Amino acid sequence: MAAALFLAAGPARAGIPAEQDDCLGCHTDQSETFTLPSGEKLPLGISQEAFAKSVHGATLRCTDCHSDKSSDHATGKLPYQTRRDATKAYFEACRGCHFANYTKGLDGVHFAILKKGNEKVAMCVDCHGAHDIAKASAPRTRIANHCAKCHQKEAGIYAQSVHGRTSDLNADLPVCNDCHRAHDQSDPRDGTDLGLRTPILCGRCHGDATLMKKYRLSTSIMTSYLNDFHGMSATIQRGEKHQHGERLAAVCTDCHGVHDIQKASDPNSTAMSANLQKTCAKCHKGADTSFPKAWLSHFEPSSEKAPLVWGVQLFYKFMIPFMVLGLLLQIALHLWRTIVNR
Amino acid sequence: MSNAKQAYVVRFTLQQRIEHFITMVIFFTLCLTGLAEKFYSAGWAQAVVHAMGGIDTNRLIHRICGWVMAISTVVHFANASLTMLSKKVGFTMVPNLQDFKDAILQLRFYLGLTEEHPHYDRYDYKQKFEYWGLVFGNIIMVVTGLILIFPVPFANFVSGQIIPAAKVAHSNEGLMAFLVITIWHIFNAHLGPDVFPFDASMFTGKISRARMEHEHPIELARMEGRAYDPHAAHGAGHGEAK
Repeated sequence: MAAALFLAAGPARAGIPAEQDDCLGCHTDQSETFTLPSGEKLPLGISQEAFAKSVHGATLRCTDCHSDKSSDHATGKLPYQTRRDATKAYFEACRGCHFANYTKGLDGVHFAILKKGNEKVAMCVDCHGAHDIAKASAPRTRIANHCAKCHQKEAGIYAQSVHGRTSDLNADLPVCNDCHRAHDQSDPRDGTDLGLRTPILCGRCHGDATLMKKYRLSTSIMTSYLNDFHGMSATIQRGEKHQHGERLAAVCTDCHGVHDIQKASDPNSTAMSANLQKTCAKCHKGADTSFPKAWLSHFEPSSEKAPLVWGVQLFYKFMIPFMVLGLLLQIALHLWRTIVNR
Repeated sequence: MSNAKQAYVVRFTLQQRIEHFITMVIFFTLCLTGLAEKFYSAGWAQAVVHAMGGIDTNRLIHRICGWVMAISTVVHFANASLTMLSKKVGFTMVPNLQDFKDAILQLRFYLGLTEEHPHYDRYDYKQKFEYWGLVFGNIIMVVTGLILIFPVPFANFVSGQIIPAAKVAHSNEGLMAFLVITIWHIFNAHLGPDVFPFDASMFTGKISRARMEHEHPIELARMEGRAYDPHAAHGAGHGEAK
């Protein structure tokens, strides 16, 4: 049956399932529009070629998404006041198949803002496209470009950063959703959720020895951070409830920057030693030029890098076992003598 | 055993008992909150921090206890110096050559090299060791603790490297104090064969005359106004009543 229909379609039409609804007989004229009550013009034609190439081209028919079209054609009216109403309506159309991502979207910051009445927020088609929908990650830079449509400032800064500069070529480098997530992005301005997840986010790549070897970066930055005051505090704080905007322990981005992150050797890096005093002083009011030396720059203390810290560490490495074993030995002798003399 | 003129003698004043009680509670709280921060990735540590009301409250409790410990140390020393200078009490806690002789003799006794055992005055060498260990540990903890509370002003005076060094020292010294107290004090005041299960004298202030004669014969003689005769006395050995 399907084969018969397929054969019945003319060779001029590329043989996609969408043709079976006969919609494409009319809706291929891309200059044709419908004027909405808002005065906006809703385009009625689609590019059949683009749709055939899209991820849905081989599977979906027009009515799979446009299920209510027969009534529209009968009345000549659309239930939308504006083009944005139409986008919002099709947000629901995706749910039927993409339930998991739809549900995640309900936890996202975009949906939270939509609920407050701001209809400018990104909905499915704003990022994924409509008839020309392609795999989101093909290529990965597409993602940054999608976000850039609204988040121009951040995208511009990102493009100048160590992560953004070469991401066209390299799948190792993070794009927006690697840190912010795709559907259930949390509000970064809150500072508590995304902020406290930062060491985990950065650690996914910066704790990966094989990946870091490629860029000659050290993975000990994770352990040195976690062994320090900031890493310890942030780890415990991650399990706690926090007030909006509460000041929390420094995470990676507090010293290295966020979208503007640079190599620590870059003169513009906030983690560059020359700039470090200013970075520390963001939290440690009145920090002097010697204060940044309190931070061992992700190095393990050694006799060259931090002799004082190294020396103290070494002293206790011997002192604690010496003390404990000495006391245990005396207790053992005491007990032994008591038993022998009994 | 000589006839007991009285069953109990007073060993600790009320003030000393209160000092001990405060130190005990504060030391326990400092260990609990401090070690929870040191071993923060362990489940028990996170449970402690959570029970304290979060890391900031945990830190606040630790710092308040630290201040109490610091102040009580200063008060203790001021007080001890004054009473010693006014000759109300002797320099009973000050280590002297006799303590080293006692320690060697005690160890020889434990090893079975001698049947002679040391005769102690008010404090034996183990008690002095623990006391001065606590004192020096306290000084290290208070100084490094202050550096960690006020990192910015300290870094203005000396190299910033003092701060991670203070953190390493505070963290390790704290662990060592915890281990020494758990092993040494718990044995000497609770689990040791002479005191098991619990040496109550630090809480009641009283000690049985029999134990005094056994453990601190020199002081007992002084208290009773007689000259100490090491040969007539009972001594501090263990299980010597063969």
